[in-house]
Amino acid sequence: MAGAVQLRLHGSQRGAYAARTESPLVRRILIGTALMFLVLVLVLPLVLIFSTAFSRGIGVYLSSFTDPDALSAIRLTLLTAAVAVPLNTLFGVCAAWAIAKFEFRGKNILITLIDLPFAVSPVIAGLIFVILFGSWGFFGEWLAAYNIKIIFAKPGIIIATVFITFPFVARELIPLMQAQGSEEEQSAIVLGAGAWQTFRRVTLPNIKWGLLYGVILCNARAMGEFGAVSVVSGHIRGLTCTMPLHLEILYNEYNFAAAFAIASLLTFLALVTLVLKSIIEWRSARQTAFENPES
Amino acid sequence: MAIEARNISKKFGTFQALNNVDVVVPTGELIALLGPSGSGKTTLLRIIAGLEQADSGAVYFDGEDATDASVRERRVGFVFQHYALFRHMSVFENVAFGLRVKKRSERPSNSEIRDRVMELLRLVQLDAFSARLPNQLSGGQRQRVALARALAVQPKVLLLDEPFGALDAKVRKELRRWLRRLHDEIHVTSVFVTHDVEEALEVANEVVVMNEGRVEQSGPPDHVYEHPVNSFVYQFLGNVNLFHTRVRDGRVRLGDTVLECNGSHGEAVVYARPHDIDILREADGPDLIAAGILRIHAIGPIVRVELQRDGDQQIVEAELTREAYAAQRLIVGENVYIRPRQAKVYPK
Amino acid sequence: MDLKGRRRRVLPGFGITMGFTLTYLSLMVLIPLAGLFIMSSRLSWTDFFSRAVLDPRVLAAYRLSFGAAFIAATINALFGFVVAWVLVRYRFRGKRIVDALVDLPFALPTAVSGITLTTLYASTGWVGGLLAPLGIPVAYTPAGIVVALILIGLPFAVRTVQPALEDMDVELEEAATSLGAGRLQVLSRVILPAILPSILSGFTLAFARGIGEFGSVYFIAGNMPMKTEIAPLLIIIKLEQYDSLGAAAIGVVMLVVSFSMIFIINMLQFWSRRYQ
Repeated sequence: MAGAVQLRLHGSQRGAYAARTESPLVRRILIGTALMFLVLVLVLPLVLIFSTAFSRGIGVYLSSFTDPDALSAIRLTLLTAAVAVPLNTLFGVCAAWAIAKFEFRGKNILITLIDLPFAVSPVIAGLIFVILFGSWGFFGEWLAAYNIKIIFAKPGIIIATVFITFPFVARELIPLMQAQGSEEEQSAIVLGAGAWQTFRRVTLPNIKWGLLYGVILCNARAMGEFGAVSVVSGHIRGLTCTMPLHLEILYNEYNFAAAFAIASLLTFLALVTLVLKSIIEWRSARQTAFENPES
Repeated sequence: MAIEARNISKKFGTFQALNNVDVVVPTGELIALLGPSGSGKTTLLRIIAGLEQADSGAVYFDGEDATDASVRERRVGFVFQHYALFRHMSVFENVAFGLRVKKRSERPSNSEIRDRVMELLRLVQLDAFSARLPNQLSGGQRQRVALARALAVQPKVLLLDEPFGALDAKVRKELRRWLRRLHDEIHVTSVFVTHDVEEALEVANEVVVMNEGRVEQSGPPDHVYEHPVNSFVYQFLGNVNLFHTRVRDGRVRLGDTVLECNGSHGEAVVYARPHDIDILREADGPDLIAAGILRIHAIGPIVRVELQRDGDQQIVEAELTREAYAAQRLIVGENVYIRPRQAKVYPK
Repeated sequence: MDLKGRRRRVLPGFGITMGFTLTYLSLMVLIPLAGLFIMSSRLSWTDFFSRAVLDPRVLAAYRLSFGAAFIAATINALFGFVVAWVLVRYRFRGKRIVDALVDLPFALPTAVSGITLTTLYASTGWVGGLLAPLGIPVAYTPAGIVVALILIGLPFAVRTVQPALEDMDVELEEAATSLGAGRLQVLSRVILPAILPSILSGFTLAFARGIGEFGSVYFIAGNMPMKTEIAPLLIIIKLEQYDSLGAAAIGVVMLVVSFSMIFIINMLQFWSRRYQ
């Protein structure tokens, strides 16, 4: 049957050829232009990252990670993500549930407010926490009195990262759950399921891929944040440096191989995120094709 | 279990979805809420289920006030218009869901669940499909899974929202008959919502005709069809010819037919169904309505004749059996007389 | 009348999820942002303007940030349309990979793209080495900033146009062709007007992202005062000089611009739905 469908497509394409597409030459030029552009902007940088990272051999590459400062940067990055990702995931699920399953006034304003951190420059994200918690900030004196350090210390890095990655999970889940509607949850409730049972057995299986993607993206951004963290960190080597900040120090010391080794690890994380996104999109496309075979 | 909905009103914003509605469903009956879209029938069903809260009024289950009971407490079976099957669960797991989420103390054992589910799947003739996912089933099959799932928790009431609305005409007819038989077997008090007159009249023991948030009439299908209480019900239940006349001395004349009319003066409309219109070749008395035959559709068991009245040029439709048509040998363009065998008059 | 009973919602959990959402949103986003505005309100209007608007170094930074972001967003709007068109309309080998790759700048840490582009476009780099003999320096010039912002804005430009192109009814084009329109006429009279709102929102998103961008620009810009110093960097410099009021003032100006962008995007989306 697939063969028949494909044949029909070919036939109709030829029939409507003039109406729907360009001459082969124009087509090739357009595809060529697009690919050239993407190679220049995306592919070349990728190639450069890995080739520079391995330029001094695998030994130097691996030793870039075993350096104590690098290890401390990796540890801090993991700690930051370990706080920011669960918090923002919990928030994303709660916000999506409230927004997608219920009707209330001001819903659009709430969605816009959730998106707000997207529109805030990372540097400003750092700045607002310096203003709140820095020594001249609103809570500066109070924090000094209790000897609590937030700015130029780990808590500041974590808070700024939470702010930057705030909308990611919510952003993935809200449209997904809105599109799915609430009839399945209603039937679960009619059939006697409780709140938690309904969420775990009915909602969660339907959103798990979107949730996973949101979490992975949130994680990638949490580990890779530079601007906001750079403002609040103070760049204390071995203490308040995350992987991107450590990378900056190495780069400024002209230690390119080590800098790009760290970069390659972060790039690998980004590539995993993209692969996962493609898989999820492919799965959901197949699912909709399954559900509406006629379209 | 008997259901009573008393003085139910509900507004969505400024739209009055239900206006002081009263509906009673006796134990074991199968009732249709029938009406055009926007008549409030689905809202009423959802209020009975507890999926919607009425602004005022009360719902009683077996005489007990259930108005403030939650959906879970009401223990109704609800079949959604688009089925709302859990898309990630197999047919079996869908049907088993209501049993699996019971409290541990009430939950049947796994083997009991399996037996119950398979029994239900046999009842809906889907036992061979238990491992399939919902998206691997046809519309009619999904509908039956939704029904089995609702029945699995042994609800005292079964509520169905446009149960056949999303199906094509042929499957619809089969499922209709099947639902009727199923109800005869298990006798659970059932309410279904439909906008399809034929469906309501064929399946239900009793129909409730709704319009603009109000109940217009309720009763057994044949009674409602034969004795519509007002012009809306008359028009909604089938094809109809309208004749505009005037009331004189509490009476209305249409050709040589005289009808009593309560409204003493003013205009009135006489309603006559096409199958109640007789066509006469020769005048057998004075004051008959003269008309010319415009068109004849003679396909199928019923022959439809389109006529135009001589005076006001109004179009009148008549339906004849094939035998009557063959006996009369009507031809297009012929001048004839018409007379309603039965008609109803409602004051304007 | 039992009001409590009447108002109950069918699905559970509204109170707790909504409560958490609002609390967390206020604590993490709204209150900190409000702090910035309160801080800058300690400045008088004249002080505010002289520090955050009229100072020549600040003005140069704004000009650079907005100018570079505008050029990059324009280039992205153009090439983003071509990329989206090719991805939606044509079939070619490796299309799925190309499609996935478009999101790379979104997932890639900005510091990584920063050092990579700098290495690539420096006069000793793969691309910079080719351009330097022609007298076109890229790294450490405003051109380098534009290159970095093109990379950052690309996903926004492509991903807003792509769905609009996918949703376009092919019958419209067929109708236009059957009425005698040539391919270019179909493009300019049927296709472009239909997707113009999407192109504009892609442009605006890329522009908004571009003015705030720091990580990728920081490395390639060279950061010379008055020449290649972007506005976000100026905030950091002010902070390092313990001038948090000055930093706050610049931050407020940039936030106001960003929020106006959001407003414009929302209006554009409203406008694009006007025929539906």
